[in-house]
Amino acid sequence: MERIVYLDNAATTPVDAAVLDEMKPFFIEQFANPMTYMHSSAGDVAQTAVEEARGRVASLIGSKPEQVIFTSGGTESDNWVLKGTVERASRERLHKPGHLVTAEFEHHAILHSALALQRQGYEVTFVKVGHSGIVDPDDVRRAMRPTTVLVSIMHANNEIGTIQPIADIARVAHDHGALMHTDAVQTTAHIPVDVDALGVDFLSVSAHKFNGPKGAGVLFIRDHAALYPFIDGGGQEWGLRGSTHNVPGIVGLGKAAQLGKERLPGELERLTTLRNMLLDKLSAGIDRIVVNGDMKQRVPQNLNIRIEGIDNEPLLLAMNEAGIIAAGGSACNAEETLASHVLTSIGCDLKEAKSSIRLSLGYVTTEKDVDRAADVIPGLVKFLRSMA
Amino acid sequence: MDKYSRVTIREFMSPSNIGHIDDPSGTGHITDNADAVELTLFISVDAGRITDAKYRIAGCTALIATLSVLSKELPGKTIDEALTLDMPYLSGLLEGLPESKWRCARYAVQALHLAIEDYQSKTS
Repeated sequence: MERIVYLDNAATTPVDAAVLDEMKPFFIEQFANPMTYMHSSAGDVAQTAVEEARGRVASLIGSKPEQVIFTSGGTESDNWVLKGTVERASRERLHKPGHLVTAEFEHHAILHSALALQRQGYEVTFVKVGHSGIVDPDDVRRAMRPTTVLVSIMHANNEIGTIQPIADIARVAHDHGALMHTDAVQTTAHIPVDVDALGVDFLSVSAHKFNGPKGAGVLFIRDHAALYPFIDGGGQEWGLRGSTHNVPGIVGLGKAAQLGKERLPGELERLTTLRNMLLDKLSAGIDRIVVNGDMKQRVPQNLNIRIEGIDNEPLLLAMNEAGIIAAGGSACNAEETLASHVLTSIGCDLKEAKSSIRLSLGYVTTEKDVDRAADVIPGLVKFLRSMA
Repeated sequence: MDKYSRVTIREFMSPSNIGHIDDPSGTGHITDNADAVELTLFISVDAGRITDAKYRIAGCTALIATLSVLSKELPGKTIDEALTLDMPYLSGLLEGLPESKWRCARYAVQALHLAIEDYQSKTS
């Protein structure tokens, strides 16, 4: 059977073999609960492994280790920071419902958390995004109110890959006395992510987007006192996040962070080249093709194109039949036949949104994969267009 | 979780009767921008029976597969028989179309009804 060409790395990535190797002992041999480290040498081994992973993540994002709090992934981190921060600042500082600023094209982990806050009486502004797919810091400035407690803008969009001016937006937030969060799920280990350079107070990370395991993530928290716990329980993670540590997951996340840091400069260059090659070849083979979002301010692994006159659903299915895996909107919404909210937020009409596909590259992507995709996709587009 | 049957995928990957009919007895046209659908169904009718059905389609997988099986069912049927073709029956021919896709696939049946209305308005 021919090798599957996997171009959906923005949805998830395979676990790196070296990551799995480091995780394995923590399922059966080193299964101890890290919280028992005071009286158990087995617990001490697990605790040491968790702290080593914490250090590796801290090194990747330029934080102090104690600012790295382990969670179950990006969605939990996003839920926690929005709800925990807005509730705490509203109750303890404002003494009335606070205001949150975010953007229309955020991941649903942010959008739906923001709507949940709105239902509870907090105020939310969803800033609009222009055609380029980049939030204008001045639009954030105009959205600020005296009661704004948090600004949350993603570092790079999950569908179109556009990189946001987070440092500038963070300055706007801080000028108005608000805290700044960024969802860095699509950028961590792909482009340089440094919490001080970005000027953020919180940052969400998910391991499975950079060859780590699913179910492991991080919320970087600059000041532990800035938010309420989200999962109440034991004293894990400085009492901020209860639940027995997911030791294998955390160890895998740490290893993926270490590998990600080592590989980043080379991968950034390699994937940028491959991605641009893919676009050039597809543009040569298909007429009426448009890139969604700014092409320069974009993570190296992302290509999102609109192919006039086709519906993305049959195209993706035909690609799958040919062994090429890609996506329409985000994987989280693949069951819906609705147009992507990201694409409509940058001004695509419904028809344009439904004729768009996302091709996302990763560490496993080779030049051969790109060649094969560029050979096969134009034929499938021709096949679909021939029916019309 | 709903997913396409192998029959549906096969039908979609090699659809029957794509094309158009010169001087058709009836034509049904549907455009829906929100669903990104553009569909024209042509029928030929002779001595009260449908003799041929062809279509041009830009739309989703379910609609393409449904049109393909519908177009194969129509020849030989009277207008009354053709009007009995509905989504449960056509879905059955595709070994079960996911229910979430019925809304889009139903454009096939609607186009047939429009083509029949067109035929009837010309002959009445």
